[in-house]
Amino acid sequence: MTLRAYVISRILLTIPMIFILLTMVFVVIRILPGDPVLAHFEKNVDPALVEEMRVKLGLDKPLWAQYFDYVFGVFRGDLGKSMYDYSPVAEQIFSAFPATLELAISSMIIAALVGIFLGVQASKRYNKPVDHTIRIFGIVTYAIPVFLLGMILQLVFGVGLRWLPVGLRMNPMLAAPQGLTIGALHFSTGLYTIDSLLEGNMFKFVESLRYLFLPSLTLGTVLSGVFIRLTRTNMFETMRLDFVTAARARGLRETTVTYRYALRNAFLPVLTMIGLQFAALLAGAVLTETTFSWPGLGTYVVDRINFRDYTAIQGAVVVFGILVSIVSLVVDLLYAYLDPRIRL
Amino acid sequence: MMGGSSTKKNMFSRLVPLLTSLARRGLAGWFIAIGLIMVIAIVVMTMLAPWISPHDPSAIEMGPLLSPPSSQFPFGTNKLGQDMLSRVISGGGIMIQVALLSVVICMAGGIPIGLLSSYTGGILDRILCLIMDSIYAFPGLVLAIAIALMLGRGVVNMALSIAVVYVPSYFRVIRSQVLSIKEMAYVEAANAIGAKGHTILSRYILPNVIPSIIVVATVNFADAILTAAGLTFIGLGVSVDIPDWGYDLTVGRTLLTTGVWWVIAFPGIMVVLLALGFTLMGEGLSELWNPRLEQ
Amino acid sequence: MIIVTSSPDVDTTLTLCCHVHSGSDKLVLQFVTRFCQRLKSYIENARIHIPTVKGMKNIKAISRMLIVGIIIVIIVVAGVVGYYLTIPTTPAMKDTLVMGTTDSIETCLDTARAYDFFGLAIVGSLSSGLVDYKPGATGSVDDIIPALATSWASSADGLQWTFTLRQGVMFDDDTEFNATHVKYSIDRGISINDPDGAFGGVGYGDLIENVTVVDKYTVRFYLRTPFSPFLSLMAFQVSFIVDPRYAPFDAVVEYDSSRTPRQNHAMGLGPYRLANWTRVAGRETEIRLEANTKYWNASGGLPETKNIIIKFYSDATNLASAIRSKQVDVAFRQLEAVDIQNMMTDDNLKVWAGTGAFIQYLCFQERYAPFNVTAIRQAVGAAINRTTIVQTVFLGQAQKLYSMIPIGMSGHTDAFLTLGDPNYTKTRELLAPLGYNETHKLAFTLWYESSGHYPQSEDLALALKSSIEGSNVITVSLGNADWASYKTKRRNAEMEAYIYGWYPDYVDPDDYIYPFIHSSGGGWLNTNYSNPEMDTLIEWARGNTSTATRNSLYTQIQSLMVTDSPIISLYQGSAFAVTDPKVKGVYLDITQVWRYWLVYIEQ
Repeated sequence: MTLRAYVISRILLTIPMIFILLTMVFVVIRILPGDPVLAHFEKNVDPALVEEMRVKLGLDKPLWAQYFDYVFGVFRGDLGKSMYDYSPVAEQIFSAFPATLELAISSMIIAALVGIFLGVQASKRYNKPVDHTIRIFGIVTYAIPVFLLGMILQLVFGVGLRWLPVGLRMNPMLAAPQGLTIGALHFSTGLYTIDSLLEGNMFKFVESLRYLFLPSLTLGTVLSGVFIRLTRTNMFETMRLDFVTAARARGLRETTVTYRYALRNAFLPVLTMIGLQFAALLAGAVLTETTFSWPGLGTYVVDRINFRDYTAIQGAVVVFGILVSIVSLVVDLLYAYLDPRIRL
Repeated sequence: MMGGSSTKKNMFSRLVPLLTSLARRGLAGWFIAIGLIMVIAIVVMTMLAPWISPHDPSAIEMGPLLSPPSSQFPFGTNKLGQDMLSRVISGGGIMIQVALLSVVICMAGGIPIGLLSSYTGGILDRILCLIMDSIYAFPGLVLAIAIALMLGRGVVNMALSIAVVYVPSYFRVIRSQVLSIKEMAYVEAANAIGAKGHTILSRYILPNVIPSIIVVATVNFADAILTAAGLTFIGLGVSVDIPDWGYDLTVGRTLLTTGVWWVIAFPGIMVVLLALGFTLMGEGLSELWNPRLEQ
Repeated sequence: MIIVTSSPDVDTTLTLCCHVHSGSDKLVLQFVTRFCQRLKSYIENARIHIPTVKGMKNIKAISRMLIVGIIIVIIVVAGVVGYYLTIPTTPAMKDTLVMGTTDSIETCLDTARAYDFFGLAIVGSLSSGLVDYKPGATGSVDDIIPALATSWASSADGLQWTFTLRQGVMFDDDTEFNATHVKYSIDRGISINDPDGAFGGVGYGDLIENVTVVDKYTVRFYLRTPFSPFLSLMAFQVSFIVDPRYAPFDAVVEYDSSRTPRQNHAMGLGPYRLANWTRVAGRETEIRLEANTKYWNASGGLPETKNIIIKFYSDATNLASAIRSKQVDVAFRQLEAVDIQNMMTDDNLKVWAGTGAFIQYLCFQERYAPFNVTAIRQAVGAAINRTTIVQTVFLGQAQKLYSMIPIGMSGHTDAFLTLGDPNYTKTRELLAPLGYNETHKLAFTLWYESSGHYPQSEDLALALKSSIEGSNVITVSLGNADWASYKTKRRNAEMEAYIYGWYPDYVDPDDYIYPFIHSSGGGWLNTNYSNPEMDTLIEWARGNTSTATRNSLYTQIQSLMVTDSPIISLYQGSAFAVTDPKVKGVYLDITQVWRYWLVYIEQ
């Protein structure tokens, strides 16, 4: 099918997927154990208190009405009210989201770069010791719990060498980057790296990178194993193809052949993998953020667990799910754009 | 466990020829062999824990607090004076139970659905595909947190939450296999001679699907172990008086800054070994059964 | 208008077409067409193709690389220059102290509702009270020093307290502080009567009948019953003065991210102003305090440090790593006992140990079995090994506590020592007549809080379980809940036995007795213990002004407490702060108040 048709059909497909996602979350939280409000309050509670919370959160309506409220609410951007202080969940998630986005993007970049580089090296020396080492490295890093790796890096680079900070998002002495301010117009992304560039403050930019580095390295390393494996197999196959042999025969340097021609072809599956790994990334982010006091959605979820705030967790789960759907949509579209074969 | 040692010997005698044949299959074989050994050793150790652990793993003040590995306490003691060696020997129970249960639940759910969906085809297949894709998109730990919160703590609930996230993997793998097998000649032939659907499924398709299922199962195991550790880290683990590697990891992490490495190192190594064992098996098996790289 | 779109119905190569949608200049059109064509050919060439070695293309490639290289160099140079230009100036950093903590503000910065340790510490730095405790206080009434009140007197019957106020104290807007502000602050708190707040929790409304403005600088409190620790109560942050401009009489000032920091708190007249308070998704990320130039005690050189930045860490381990790597100057609450012990021997850090006034105790629910029987409560109390708690769990950083009144406070006696520490024989003796022995054990569930609200709760619970089970006639299961659920369970009387903690509101033995074992004062704890004899003793003690009489009353109260054993005291904890060796001015006295305005870094 043509690109346009594919794009349209793929976007249309996302909608029922998101619906199913919302329904699934609704079932888990509202229907499975029975009543999130009662669960919040535990047994033998004053019924008046329970009713009050129910009414305040709109949970006293029949289940089907709640479902429609919930689904339409999501599309309106309303994720309900927190059980802890009745403030809008969407607002809280929105304020915590940029931090997690920054962490996710930089971790994915590190995972992809490390994975691709090591995968290329491994594919070149197939079945030699270097190949084995790299493969084992990829497998072992996946098996290490993320918080353990984070702790080790903190100790080595933070407490031991004092090169990098062990937690937080920004140097305590500095105010958070504000982004671009032209007159009354204020534009900020919430990503400290970009905002400090927009502000024109290079010191803040470098500092925000320093604070971003260890958490991203932790999460990126754990995810890199998949990329190593993928790149290794794809590069191996691609390097055997005719056009690569031809390029080599023409006397081009090996690095040019590897990175300019072969890698470009092997890149497409990596792109898909980035999309697929995004879910794992978000899961890992929950643990990484707690380890590094990174104030994002992961910390939010863990906090809300302690508050027994079911609506907040439901909102966060929905946001995570929608995020992953969007990312996989974007990746699929990009893939279709870059790979002409899929449209035929 | 009655007759522990004799059962071990029996398994051993069957194991050795298996391992040697694996070793001949190159790196993939080595992966499987090593992974298998790791897993079996850890499982056996955990099962024999009540007999082989030198002290009660939950008893506090067994020795000086936070003492490094010594002859009396080979793995040292933690901050309550509990013997780390006993805790390491007994601590795998929770994780192994969670992993096993999640795999069983997953298979019980995912395999029939996958087989049914791909064999029947049509709208049912499409709808199920869509549902499975949606579930697949979920960050496992986050859904596990939501479910653990709703259903409470405990082994069964942790297993359930991991299982839900993994069903789509089985589904996909089965589906791709079934779709390719469905069109093959011998299946058509079986149809022609009047074999019923479920006969075809069980006799022709299922045996061919099993290798892929096993590969997915190993990855499922590894992920279950790591998710269980993650849940415990967040505080959704089991009661603290049950020895658990995940709990020791969480506590050990807080001690690392003071230079106390043994509380996190030994349980940490065990968790990594267990997850690694399954991952190695998965890697090796997938390479063995789906060879893509030829010399 | 020129739109660049992609037309999908050409075969495998991508085509860019330029569509001109409205009239435009022909030259522009030509330029655009040529630009589009070049773009198209560049993209085409960027895809998989095999280059041919031709002289022309080579030079083009080299010159292209050169341009890219120059651009990169320019960016890098600009970056480096920009970096050095934007380094923050050091003088600003010199007068700043960075503090790290794992606490957070539980509710808000308003005395009408705030009742958490950390929140009230911030309130105390943003506001002042009538009186204060001098740094290093030991708890006696002589330690009370004037603050916003210069002198005070109580009537003979103890029912009236008159305060003469300091003159010339200014709010931010140059309004002068006077007696009406005192009346406003107290009346407001009592009137709002927030269920989470201290006004209701301590019972200000039951205590104070009326606050009268006698004249501009004189204010009088009329009490319903005599209350000996009244001055202590006035030194409690909840009694501090609010700024009426920002604190409406009938509403609590809550955090709102859209408002300025000044609008987000109700207080005034303190050594600091709130320069920044950021919450991300309901959790604190930063608080900045800057010196209040109009502070009434500014002439005393206060506050010592002009700027204080407070950063919030997820857990004790991250905070420990942060102070070790000098990311913060001060780490206060909560560090684990192991970290503190380790840091004591670290030359790069200074550990400040304070007087303990934080206690933890075991509560028994008397509404239903098994703990509705006094003998069973005593039996469990006798089976507690406090040495394990103090040495094993807290590594000697705590003290064994045999009374609800902390060690060092007047009126303290080691009452529970008579019960045993532990005395398993007594436990078995008490339980035997009830039918409990080694084959038929008493079983109950011990609950503890598991979200980090109290230090090392899991360890404490395990230690208690181990010591109680050491009697061989009792089986203990452990139950846990996060802080919010824990409080709910307490309110619903769901837990058979539960561990709780207490920081002093006001420094007086009454604050450790009345809220626990008085039938109405202890209502919040919900153990359902009630003994009219005990109530009478407590009321006498809090009303009496003679220290000797009060002490003898408290001795009676404590021994009656052992007889009834509604609550068993466990340990008394010290406060610890870990700082850079150059930090001075840390006072961790019995008030448990963290005085932000006294801490500074020696240059």
